[in-house]
Amino acid sequence: MPLGVDIPVKEVQRYMGYHGLIEIGPDIQAKISKAVDMVSAQSHPRIVTKEYPVRVRDNEITIYNGTEEIVLCSEALARNLKGCCGAILLAATIGPACDMLVRRASVTSSAEAAIYQAAGAAAIEAFLDDRNAKLEKEYEAQGLFLRPRFSPGYGDLSLDHQKDWFRLLDISKQIGVELTDSLLMVPTKSVTALIGIGIDKSKAGCSGCSGCNKHDTCAYSKEDK
Amino acid sequence: MNLRDRLGKEWLFCDGGTGSILQKMGLKGGELPETWNLTRPDDIKSLNRGYFEAGSNIVNTNTFGANRFKYDNVSEIVTAAVKICQEARKEADREDDAYVAIDVGPTGKLLEPMGDLPFNVAVDVFAEIIKAGYEAGGDVVVIETMSDSYEAKAAVVAAKEVCDLPIIVTMVYDETGKLLTGGGVEGTVAMLEGLKVDAIGINCGFGPVQMLPIAERLVKCCSLPIVVNPNAGLPRTENGATVYDVDPDDFANVMEQIAKLGVHVMGGCCGTTPDHIRTMINKVKVLPFTAPTAKDETYVTSFADCVKIGRKPVIIGERINPTGKKKLQQALRENNIDYILTEALKQEEAGAHILDVNVGLPEIDEPSMMESVIVKLQSVTNLPLQIDTTNIEALERGMRIYNGKPMINSVNGKNENIEAVMPLVAKYGGVLVSLPLDEDGIPETSDGRIAIAKKIYEAADRYGIPRKDIVIDGLAMTVSSDPNSAIATLDTVRRVRDEFSGHSILGVSNISFGLPARELVNSHFLTMAMQNGLSCAIINPCNGPMMASYRSYNALMNLDPNLSEFIDAYKDYVAGTSASSSGTKSSSAASSGAALTLGEAIERGVVGRATEAMREALASGKESLEIIDAELIPALDRVGKGFEAGTVFLPQLLMSADAAKAAFAVVKEAMADKPRTTKGQVILATVKGDIHDIGKNIVKVMLENYGYDVIDLGKDVPPEVIVDCAIENNIKVVGLSALMTTTVASMEETIKQLRERKPDTKVVVGGAVMTPEYSEQIGADAYAKDAMATVRYCDSVFEA
Repeated sequence: MPLGVDIPVKEVQRYMGYHGLIEIGPDIQAKISKAVDMVSAQSHPRIVTKEYPVRVRDNEITIYNGTEEIVLCSEALARNLKGCCGAILLAATIGPACDMLVRRASVTSSAEAAIYQAAGAAAIEAFLDDRNAKLEKEYEAQGLFLRPRFSPGYGDLSLDHQKDWFRLLDISKQIGVELTDSLLMVPTKSVTALIGIGIDKSKAGCSGCSGCNKHDTCAYSKEDK
Repeated sequence: MNLRDRLGKEWLFCDGGTGSILQKMGLKGGELPETWNLTRPDDIKSLNRGYFEAGSNIVNTNTFGANRFKYDNVSEIVTAAVKICQEARKEADREDDAYVAIDVGPTGKLLEPMGDLPFNVAVDVFAEIIKAGYEAGGDVVVIETMSDSYEAKAAVVAAKEVCDLPIIVTMVYDETGKLLTGGGVEGTVAMLEGLKVDAIGINCGFGPVQMLPIAERLVKCCSLPIVVNPNAGLPRTENGATVYDVDPDDFANVMEQIAKLGVHVMGGCCGTTPDHIRTMINKVKVLPFTAPTAKDETYVTSFADCVKIGRKPVIIGERINPTGKKKLQQALRENNIDYILTEALKQEEAGAHILDVNVGLPEIDEPSMMESVIVKLQSVTNLPLQIDTTNIEALERGMRIYNGKPMINSVNGKNENIEAVMPLVAKYGGVLVSLPLDEDGIPETSDGRIAIAKKIYEAADRYGIPRKDIVIDGLAMTVSSDPNSAIATLDTVRRVRDEFSGHSILGVSNISFGLPARELVNSHFLTMAMQNGLSCAIINPCNGPMMASYRSYNALMNLDPNLSEFIDAYKDYVAGTSASSSGTKSSSAASSGAALTLGEAIERGVVGRATEAMREALASGKESLEIIDAELIPALDRVGKGFEAGTVFLPQLLMSADAAKAAFAVVKEAMADKPRTTKGQVILATVKGDIHDIGKNIVKVMLENYGYDVIDLGKDVPPEVIVDCAIENNIKVVGLSALMTTTVASMEETIKQLRERKPDTKVVVGGAVMTPEYSEQIGADAYAKDAMATVRYCDSVFEA
């Protein structure tokens, strides 16, 4: 099952560190478009989402799953979720093929390996953006607005919460992503995230970069500096 | 009556869901359900009893997640679960015809090389559970909800090593019939049949409706009893809780349809209850029962690919075999696995279907090498492998670690050899290449060879290896020493097909040993062999004439639908060049940058031209060191400075580095006999908790290009491993990389341990989150903002 959405070449270039008005040579352009085609064709995207009631108080976010409460401590996430009473937890992956493409490329060419990495990163984001937009429409029909995606390990939200996501969403079984002892996901082109649901339209949408405490110095920031 | 004697002979029924029932009894989210075996045994007993009373013959113990990653007391939990289930069966008065199933679920971890759980550790984890269950009196092992065939294999191997109970394996597929790790129904069935389990099936994932088409595929390819255990529909969330909607009647109606497809064991999974099971049993048990039938397809599989051995011949790439290949021998001695991987990718690109893997050299540890080469190969290619060795320990370790059902090369007609090899094939499964030679040597005639082939088939029968998994080697021997040898070989191949309906294989190029123009003889011999029924050809797929014979044969014999393979390979064919063209797209690399100097080729990152230019420079009589100092390093420096200045971006830097690396490989080859000079040894590692290794790999390439010997410990490396390696090799500089804020702590820990145990080693750190201040704070000697900075730092240390 191919990716099903286009991988924006500009995003691939951004993940590779290109910024500004730099000219990219035809050799590299050709390699990028080949990588984009391969990653797109061999991806097997999967997503699992669940909606939970949440409560935000100071820097504490509490998620209810019917029988238990999960507490997240994060100033940045609390700011993101201010005024929300629900949230969508999600996990998504483009599957294991991209990781193999990277490994294959790294046997013969470190340049191509870097390009496949970037194409994979852009692919999972493009897939998520597409699903995110669909969710936005569904909720907007009910008069609700979605906040920017926020992930464990992002800003001051501890990566330890990966374990909560895996338990709540049964991620291993649902989409075939596993957590290593070091809380990293395999396949690597996978994302866990939370999307706040609110009634306030003005806080919806927009890039997640501005909510991050590193957004001034980050080499990958989506805003041109 | 033993369950094994009933499976496949009558309707049998499994139980249904556990989690949803326990939740109704008050199990909290996040609470581990198996603790109830000790804290609330009566509730678990009533759960089990409900299913025995509903009519289930196979009821699972409450041990799905009872592994050492979640519990310290696995044995206690499992023993209690078996006892509870036995009591429930007694109370339900079902001791005569129902079985207590030791339930084994996935570990929740991904196995190496994709994840971080070593295969043999996974086997230990499962063995611990199954042993406890067996000793407590369980009747059958049910391995279920597996979404990775490799993990299922680990569980089956564990079960076979601790007990002789029947083994049932059910996997989770998605709606396209794929496992989450990429394998398909047919390949998974082939692997599990090879492992000699007792029944194979599907469970969980979705409801009975969505499972129907997959059950259909199972019925088509599986020779064993088939198990189908769906959920009560697709899961839905209600206020944060998961619910299933299909009621007992609807469930039973679809299960009736599935039963009619010809499956043998039925039950339920998430969301199903004793009511679902009871209603289903009432519908199904009155239907006529169809016993499983043996299917005669032969498959060789990897975790993702499935190659059929049959009428269309299969190409087995022969290039990973050190016999007569100096470069491969050197690579094996230097543990240069990348060279082997490159050979594998080339053969895959050229059209091989299976890769032969032989790593036998007298001076290396063959069993360890076989194991690590197989794992590495399976991390870069989907092609199934042929494990080729005469070393029985290497064979066993290779078969054990292999993900899928491999080909085995080989067994012969000697009794001693049959007794050593066949038990391994019976245990792990595999398609077995069989050489018709025995204690008296190689028979000259096909009569003699066919007689030994018959003996081998009979031995396979005794070991329970299906005849379809035997592939007889026609034994190609050079015509230059025996003018009848090709005739005897072709006769043997034909008679294997006609007299045994069997499969055959040839190491084709042996036929021309000692002759000039070998590829002419080889390619014609290949055509003749295929015409005589050859199933598998071991050849060099990068040889144009050989592949031309192969593709032409398929085109002529209606084995290439729409001639698409042939047209795809030869659409740009130019008459008269056939002998040198491989028929694949490989010529584009040489076309660009034809007239560039070595320095220019490196700056522009043209790998092919850089290699060529280096060869020309060496041929012109220049000293290799002179070329490196005068052309190669300055070119790299120019690119490096551009990168530092922000006028060259990462991909160009990497392409230049690749080109330089290729040029260095030429030098290395030329200096193979001379002692190598190096500036010194450096360790590189991405620290524990971090798997981002692109940056580290760039540093590695640059350091190597600048003359350093790099010990690359990889990614997610524990501090102890780095420190031990530094001590063992008396390392002067360690380079550590971390991309994430969260892993800086493990970088700090690594530095701390290094300071304690190897204080004279310098540490240079880098990575996206690093800053000079940060690096000082955690006690590093230096911060390097990129690969060039690391090179300059190492130069400063080693030249001091």
